[in-house]
Amino acid sequence: GRSDRYFKKKKEKMKRGHQDILHGGGGWYAVAPEMERGKRKTTMGAAEEGGDVDELLAALGYKVRSSEMADVAHKLEQLEMAMVSSAATNDDALLSHLASDTVHYNPSDLITWVDNILSELNAPPPPLPTPQSLPSADAYDLEPLPALPAPATPLVLGSDPQSEVAPSPRDRKRMKVCSSPPSSSTTTDAATSAAAALPVVVVDSQEAGIRLVHALLAGAEAVQQDNLKAADALVKQISLLATSQGGAMRKVAGYFAEALARRIYRPQPRGGVGCCSFDSVAFDDMLHMHFYESCPFLKFAHFTANQAILEAFAGCRRVHVVDFGMRQGMQWPALLQALALRPGGPPSFRLTGIGPPQPDNSDALQEVGWKLAQLAESIRVDFRYRGFVAASLADLEPYMLLDQDADGGGGGKDEEPEVVAVNSVFELHRLLARPGALEKVLGTVRAVRPRIVTVVEQEANHNGGTFQERFTEALHYYSTMFDSLEGGAAAAGADDGGPDQALSEMYLGRQICNVVACEGAERTERHETLAQWRGRMDRAGFEPVPIGSNAFKQASMLLALFAGGDGYRVEEKDGCLTLGWHTRPLIATSAWRVAAPAEDPLSALAAR
Amino acid sequence: MLTREEGEEEQEEEEEAKGRRRAFSINDNVDLLAEILGRLDGRSLAVAGCVCRLWNALGRRDSVWEAVCHRHVAGGGSSAAGGGCSTRSVVAALGGYRRLYRLCIGPALDRLAGSAGGRGSTTTTAAAAAAHHLSLSLSLSLFSIDCYERLGGRQQPPASLLFLCKPVDVS
Repeated sequence: GRSDRYFKKKKEKMKRGHQDILHGGGGWYAVAPEMERGKRKTTMGAAEEGGDVDELLAALGYKVRSSEMADVAHKLEQLEMAMVSSAATNDDALLSHLASDTVHYNPSDLITWVDNILSELNAPPPPLPTPQSLPSADAYDLEPLPALPAPATPLVLGSDPQSEVAPSPRDRKRMKVCSSPPSSSTTTDAATSAAAALPVVVVDSQEAGIRLVHALLAGAEAVQQDNLKAADALVKQISLLATSQGGAMRKVAGYFAEALARRIYRPQPRGGVGCCSFDSVAFDDMLHMHFYESCPFLKFAHFTANQAILEAFAGCRRVHVVDFGMRQGMQWPALLQALALRPGGPPSFRLTGIGPPQPDNSDALQEVGWKLAQLAESIRVDFRYRGFVAASLADLEPYMLLDQDADGGGGGKDEEPEVVAVNSVFELHRLLARPGALEKVLGTVRAVRPRIVTVVEQEANHNGGTFQERFTEALHYYSTMFDSLEGGAAAAGADDGGPDQALSEMYLGRQICNVVACEGAERTERHETLAQWRGRMDRAGFEPVPIGSNAFKQASMLLALFAGGDGYRVEEKDGCLTLGWHTRPLIATSAWRVAAPAEDPLSALAAR
Repeated sequence: MLTREEGEEEQEEEEEAKGRRRAFSINDNVDLLAEILGRLDGRSLAVAGCVCRLWNALGRRDSVWEAVCHRHVAGGGSSAAGGGCSTRSVVAALGGYRRLYRLCIGPALDRLAGSAGGRGSTTTTAAAAAAHHLSLSLSLSLFSIDCYERLGGRQQPPASLLFLCKPVDVS
């Protein structure tokens, strides 16, 4: 109901700095005691008035009519923003004014109380000890912010009721429409009266959105320039501005602000996964599962890679797949099924799964193998499994991957040799964190002479240039990712995607944290574009294998099955498939094989 | 003792009586009935299973649902006998055609019809499937993932196919 939403908003504000999504429904119980502590409690007094008073608030001693709830919530938000921003600027004038010079009404009549305070804020204030100049409206156009002196300029956000800004569909999604109370002053008015340095409490969401992006970029610049004090102030501004936005923008800004804050305050993050309170691999796997279930990216990756592998295995009787990131093994049931039904019957199938060490010594890799074996047995595919625990893929050696049973026991040399496929979904980019690791791994891959190597990676450059460039790239990329999550939820008709969406966002949030707040060997989310990977694979001695039209058709059909599938686009680019949201490609699947060595004229002569 | 003539007369009378009593009843021709039911769409077949015990039993026959599945997906109807056999055994191992329809093909067709209906085209699921070429291989892939999730006693119910269903409003 409405009051639930009100309390949810309050809870979000109070926990502004933390991404405490897991608190969920217990929110309003957390809020109540704080309200009791803060305000003077008055007795309920007279019986409820004619209009229905909100019961939840009445239990706390506040009389607010249900019809007024939205209005009161809105005004309290404005009040809070004003107070917080003044606290951010270490400006005591507002607070002391409120504390000493204002007549306060009985707070149990919330709406009158808050109206009174707001009118105090918007009235011409007494002269301030340090008059501050305000940026004019022109400062809001698209120019980089100058380096800010500390404390940061107070926020002045005005609304122009006459402005005819037609929001683009993207902005419309991000805008939360706020009505402007008649007592607000516009930017121009505020600018002309030099003494009116108090923040105006009206927010124009679209302008705040632009301001938010500016603040984010300025924060990155400040960090780049090692101006940590300015960066800190900007992070607070970002958090504040983010509350005026809705949906994807608010969440993305929240994650980026948190990541920036971590970078400022904790230059040496602990833990390999980096930047998260839960370092457990099990939590990681859980987030990964939710991401798999709620959006199409991982399914797309699996389906397209499987199709390429299936085609490469055509006609082979003994096949071997090496999976660089086994996790829950969700990719392989579909391939097993497809192999079982292929014309000519299934091959003899061997799977090698690579996974990270588990802190609690549980054998997750073996359990996954066991489940897959059960499935394979039920559909009568001859199946063998081997799991390898490796902290890094660079620890692998070719002999570990080659078929060790070929010479012993079985048919020996009469048997057909194994045909190998190597599969890497979002694993290769981690190797870029340590110099030489990728080269070693690609060398190992070449040594097992695979028929096909399938690589799925994020289509973005989060590894190049300066911190600022990386930040900007990541901001665009993850904004699009979060948009796609919102789009899926909206099209499915839900108000929000529920826990799956929140967990998927958390999954992405950890990547954001890693990209922004970590450095060196800790920064494992070193995404690179398809073009960059092409160059790397080329230099390592691989040549591209075009992914066929079957994969394209299957991927398109898969996307059509997702609610909100309209926004997703499957595209083919030089034999590789990309999945994107509207015009922005987000992940790319490519296939490779060992390049045929250049013909040596002498050996060619000898062969003749 | 009846004369032969009288015996024949009685027989004829009996047959006429039978003929008068019994119009052709589809329920007497189970295989024909199964053939007919197999031409329904999924929802109608499920409803047909509520008619009587016989129809219910037929509505649980996997072969009937096999016909329904093949009719509604591309690439399934024209499989050769050999291919059909192996498909049948794989589908049976994964849970059967009825389950395949209920978990994958049905929701997928609904989803496609929903998006196609939005564009004002015909809402019959067969038309939607044809328009979008929902393939048996894709359905089987999704089905195998769901089957895999159910192995090994997962604590939470398998969710890999939830994306096909409408979300439940829990507000």
